[in-house]
Amino acid sequence: MMNTVLTEKIAIAVATFALCASSLAAQQKQAPPAGGPPKPFNVPAHESYTMPNGMKVTLVPYGNLPKVTLSLVLRTGNLNEPADMPGLADMVGKLMKEGTTSKSSQQIAEEAAGMGGALNITVGADESDVTTDVLSDFGAKAAVLLADVAQHPLFPESELPRLKTDAERQLSISKAVPQNMALEKFRKVLYGNHPYGTVFPTEESIRKTTVADIKKFYDGNFGALRSHLFVAGRFDMAEVKKAIAASFGGWAKGPAAISNVPRVKPQHVLDLTDRPGAAQSTLLVGMPVPDATSSDAIPLGVTNALLGGSFGSRITSNIREQKGYTYSPSSQISRRYHDAYWAETADVTTQYTGASLKEIFAEIEKLAKEPPADAELKGIQSYLSGLFVIQNSSRGALINQLRFVDFQGLGEDYLRTYVQKVNAVTPADVSKMTSQYIKPDQMTIVVVGDKAKVAEQVAPYGAK
Amino acid sequence: MFERLLRKFSCLAMALTALSLGADRTMAGAAGSELKVPVEYYKLPNGLRVVLSQDHTAPTVCVAVYYRIGFRVEPKDRTGFAHLFEHMMFQGSQNLGKMEFIKLVQQNGGILNGSTRFDFTNYFEILPSNKLETALWAEADRMNGLAVTEENLKNQQGVVGNEVKVNVINRPYGGFPWLDMPQYANTNWYNAHNFYGDLKDIEAATLPDVQSFFKTYYAPNNAALAIVGDFDVMQARQWVEKYFGGIKASNLPAQPDLSEPKQTKEKNANRVDPLAKRPGIAIAYHMPERNTPEYYAMGLIDQILIEGDDSLAYQELVQKQGLTAAVQGGINYLGNMFNYKGPMLFMADVRYDPATKPETIVKAWDTALEPLRAKEVDKALLERARVKLRSDLYGNMGSVGGFGLADLLASFALFDDNPARINSLVSEFDKVTPELIQKTAQEYLKPENRTVLVLETKPADAAKPAEAPAKN
Repeated sequence: MMNTVLTEKIAIAVATFALCASSLAAQQKQAPPAGGPPKPFNVPAHESYTMPNGMKVTLVPYGNLPKVTLSLVLRTGNLNEPADMPGLADMVGKLMKEGTTSKSSQQIAEEAAGMGGALNITVGADESDVTTDVLSDFGAKAAVLLADVAQHPLFPESELPRLKTDAERQLSISKAVPQNMALEKFRKVLYGNHPYGTVFPTEESIRKTTVADIKKFYDGNFGALRSHLFVAGRFDMAEVKKAIAASFGGWAKGPAAISNVPRVKPQHVLDLTDRPGAAQSTLLVGMPVPDATSSDAIPLGVTNALLGGSFGSRITSNIREQKGYTYSPSSQISRRYHDAYWAETADVTTQYTGASLKEIFAEIEKLAKEPPADAELKGIQSYLSGLFVIQNSSRGALINQLRFVDFQGLGEDYLRTYVQKVNAVTPADVSKMTSQYIKPDQMTIVVVGDKAKVAEQVAPYGAK
Repeated sequence: MFERLLRKFSCLAMALTALSLGADRTMAGAAGSELKVPVEYYKLPNGLRVVLSQDHTAPTVCVAVYYRIGFRVEPKDRTGFAHLFEHMMFQGSQNLGKMEFIKLVQQNGGILNGSTRFDFTNYFEILPSNKLETALWAEADRMNGLAVTEENLKNQQGVVGNEVKVNVINRPYGGFPWLDMPQYANTNWYNAHNFYGDLKDIEAATLPDVQSFFKTYYAPNNAALAIVGDFDVMQARQWVEKYFGGIKASNLPAQPDLSEPKQTKEKNANRVDPLAKRPGIAIAYHMPERNTPEYYAMGLIDQILIEGDDSLAYQELVQKQGLTAAVQGGINYLGNMFNYKGPMLFMADVRYDPATKPETIVKAWDTALEPLRAKEVDKALLERARVKLRSDLYGNMGSVGGFGLADLLASFALFDDNPARINSLVSEFDKVTPELIQKTAQEYLKPENRTVLVLETKPADAAKPAEAPAKN
């Protein structure tokens, strides 16, 4: 919330422009100073090991701020839910915070707060985590608290009705957000009955959830084998290791992780959801692409940054900085376990809904046909190389990186060779990635907007 | 868009040099979590305030330029103009055409952003540290002058109109309560207008408006430059002198009277949000003046009352009464308790169910709050609040590539002429006594000092989309 709104603005760059303040045209412009030679950068060293019960631990001493982040990452989430119980994993996460066999929820909250942190449980499609960010003095104590919450949840019956009421309220609030409506449609089209195809629980699934369901889910999906504890920041290494061994060492192995990679095919569908009176149209346009383990993943990432995934990207500069159709366009590669799709999202002026789609597809087609100029690609490669440093230069970001590599099984080499691989991509590769994987005639096109005003505009983009 | 990028890294913590700690030493013990931030502060002859804070943990540098012009002070017939203007700062300067600034930063491996707040507008970049000179040159170039066209302005009017739609008009709870509440709780126009802007005002802006605003406020004597990260101090000083030294100071207009009259009666307001599915309520109190003992006390009251699941409000409204899933809130919804200057609100908001009456929520809030007013706060509770506050403060300093620290240093330079106060903040909170907490709660957290805003879901007869909230 705090960050919302007025922030962002900004904008864009782009390769092809010919505009300019004519009054200045004649004036000789200064060139920016180039800066010095780059400093070497290595991803901060970490120590990883596996405990006898199979739980993995990764420790990263980092930085000078007197803080440490601990994140227990669990290989479980909505993927493990029974088909008729969407949202069960979320409810498990919520009820876990409501007490352990030895501590009330209030005691847990006060203990975390007394270390300068809060206990956060996040549930995702493939993974969940129990995380806290505390003052350095409390690294060991925080590990013990996470261990207790993860291993000894009380799952009190008394708190469930309240959490269900909260979940129903949240469901109703979330489903009214146009970007969420678009995502729900898009996922359903792409993934069908696979768990990735379901974004929200249902009122029915919330209402019928019992503590027995929750305990059954916990027993079937939690344990040392599915867990990986990441610790990053400033902390007493010996003390924290000792606390981890003592507090997690006795955790039963539990079940191994289940893999359920969907077999996805492009679905060329135009899906228009009517939102009468909508002030904008919400667009989500995309298709499946090779996942993180593919040798094309990095070239595709470079292509995405150039096409729509950065300020300077082509689509953003077109529909925002040239046309002014939208404030917040962006393309991304959305990843799950050995699964990925490329998508462009934008909330656009209603009257330019069709025009926005036209420009998005035109930029894709152009890139597929003509390799980008060397300088444009070089710019994107430098951008991604610089971004890589920032993505490995804070506690939270480091954990995210290491967690991603571990989760996708990319190997230790991935971070060491990433920048080199980014810079090895050629202009021809970019065109090839585009023509091979980002195809307007195979895209799922989701539009949430005022149907009376946009139906005709978007009709030409439907299946032919 | 950029915000999304930032979120990816967020959580984070960039490093600062802690002089009190050897870089290789692992900390332990209570003294271990104290921190001293290196601060070098000086002014150029043209009035530019410069703050340098070195940290060699990562080979990155953050350059942040803060102008002391926020959305409070914008032309009265041009609501939203300060923010629209911010967009124009990316549209072209003397040596960089449209899109070239962004392209320059990106091609040098950096990220950038700008934002408009109550009392400042900022522009910042995070880059590999070998690109510091490039960033300083570029920021100086646009401080030196804009070169924008009618076409650029028209384009950004379209972009900003879409920004207001995506963040406010087309979204349930858009503007609630961060944009709405100041309009109900404040009475002085400067604090009480729609600072994102009425769409028609945004559309009415002209190129001469842009030029005049730049000429009036965008000058070195109205700005602070913060550099945080991996750089050489002597070298940085030379570049700052070289690129910013020649920019001319301007004659700044006198600041209008921004003060809020003392509120003497509780205010109540309702607004309908046809897109919202559940009602919401926000409660806001006028803050004590910044940097007073009561202000620091409010920082701790925020920790005790609202922040975290251990807070009094969470325990009462969520755990005990089950009225809502969360209580959001704090001091300054568009930043933190440090990066503003003028009148400010302390606020909390919740979403609840139609079966619950708004009075029930207010009553529960009062129940949570009452112990702070009725008696001196328990010592252990106060101690926990101090720990939370310190941890939050360090978390803030650590956010994104040095930007969190640059934000604090630039704010303290601009508003207090004293960025070194970053190292005495903790001691100011340490001075707060249980007695002062009680006195502050009694004086400020009383109904006479508050506004209660209810967001209703049922469209009333004349309800219009949630554009500009009408004043009740």
